[in-house]
Amino acid sequence: MRALPLHDILEAKGASFEERCGVEITSTVSDKKKEYSMIRDGVGITDFSFMQKFRISGDSGVDVLDQLFAGNVAKIRFCRVLHTFLADEKGELVADAYVANNDEDFIVLCESLVDDATLKKMFNTQTAQQRDEAGGGQLEDITDTHVVFSIDGYNAWKAVKDLFGTDVLGLPYLSVETYSFEGESVLLFRAGKTSEFGYLVMAPKTIGAKLMEALLAAAEVHGGGLCGNNIHNDLRLEGRFFNIFSEGARVKDPLSLGLQWMVDFDKESFLGRDAILQRRGKGLENKIIGIKVNASDGDLNQGEAIFSEGKKVAGVEATCFSHVLNAHIGLALFPVDIAYAGLKFNLGKPDGPIVETISMPPIIPKSLSVKLDEM
Amino acid sequence: MDSAMQEKINNRAEVINSMKEELIKRLNLPYKPEDMHEDISLFGAGLGLDSLDALEVVLCVEHCFGIKIPENNISILRSINTLADYVIEQKERMKVTV
Repeated sequence: MRALPLHDILEAKGASFEERCGVEITSTVSDKKKEYSMIRDGVGITDFSFMQKFRISGDSGVDVLDQLFAGNVAKIRFCRVLHTFLADEKGELVADAYVANNDEDFIVLCESLVDDATLKKMFNTQTAQQRDEAGGGQLEDITDTHVVFSIDGYNAWKAVKDLFGTDVLGLPYLSVETYSFEGESVLLFRAGKTSEFGYLVMAPKTIGAKLMEALLAAAEVHGGGLCGNNIHNDLRLEGRFFNIFSEGARVKDPLSLGLQWMVDFDKESFLGRDAILQRRGKGLENKIIGIKVNASDGDLNQGEAIFSEGKKVAGVEATCFSHVLNAHIGLALFPVDIAYAGLKFNLGKPDGPIVETISMPPIIPKSLSVKLDEM
Repeated sequence: MDSAMQEKINNRAEVINSMKEELIKRLNLPYKPEDMHEDISLFGAGLGLDSLDALEVVLCVEHCFGIKIPENNISILRSINTLADYVIEQKERMKVTV
């Protein structure tokens, strides 16, 4: 298992840890509701160093990445970020990725279902031929040499502004910019999956501890602190952001998961393309949609069956408790002919409690009311 | 499937399909209607529309269904499903008024 570079410091601050796909992550720091409130109302700093990180330079870097990812890497403008995925030959999800065009090189940040060695092998072996043909882009694995922090929340922009200056307010969603901290270059991504303001900052691990202290100091001024990764599962679901570690790990088919927007179907080649296009040609059989169970009607658990007129019709793939709605919400895989919001089914057994299909995202985040570009 | 459920599905499918086709046409989106999941975000992550596109979305709803979206009500514009909720609700209101 790959340990977090700042494990000891995080532990001293109260973090608990777990293993996920061969990598250590922070689970929680304080109680779940407190961490939830930090991000919905203030700002939460979370160690995202579990992400796998790559830098690819050289003129052919773009071609190499384009052969790997489902999205169109060649169309990423300077200082912009593409949110896409990496699939295997069967067209099943392997990694959710941000690919950033950082002028002289491309930076890739991955949340993957495989361990570091397996992912690196995919990068290396699957693209060796293309790299040779394209002239040899230099792929550098910077997973062990860099840390990543996620800064999320209604006040996240205030904490980031305090640290890096007012020009961060002009960063559009899915963009990247280089800043200086302690004499080193750090990359700031405007990207988040909580539906509040979100940023990822990547820095050399030599300044990781100092950067975390600076981020926490800025967060504390704006009603925040350190969070664990577990709360992000709930926040992603509430905001209907794709979570590869939850519904992604269970369903794996990007089409059933509604990830067509991450794919450029006109591209001639990317990993898993043939299998994905074949399934697309046949037409979808199932797709994932939102569900809700009132808090008074009991729990909602991953793997539970959903019934209609006495027959099992769907399965629950992701769940959380929404403090905003005071209800359990989730995602379930339904046959496409009944995959519509506004319908009622039974949960767990033919006469089980009512589970309702809902439109997602079910909440209106506070951050939606703030216009940074007008400040 | 009982007839009430089938009617709900038919009504919603009709609204969603019309909306998807109109959005693809107006915004020149590189998707087929079945590629557009109803829950994906219209702005930012997802379809990645911008503030100029928002006007086209508003016009799309007006053109397809004769329904106006109140100004600055961005919560309705979060996804195709949230748009469909609003359209269905307004259609029901119009029925009651008539």
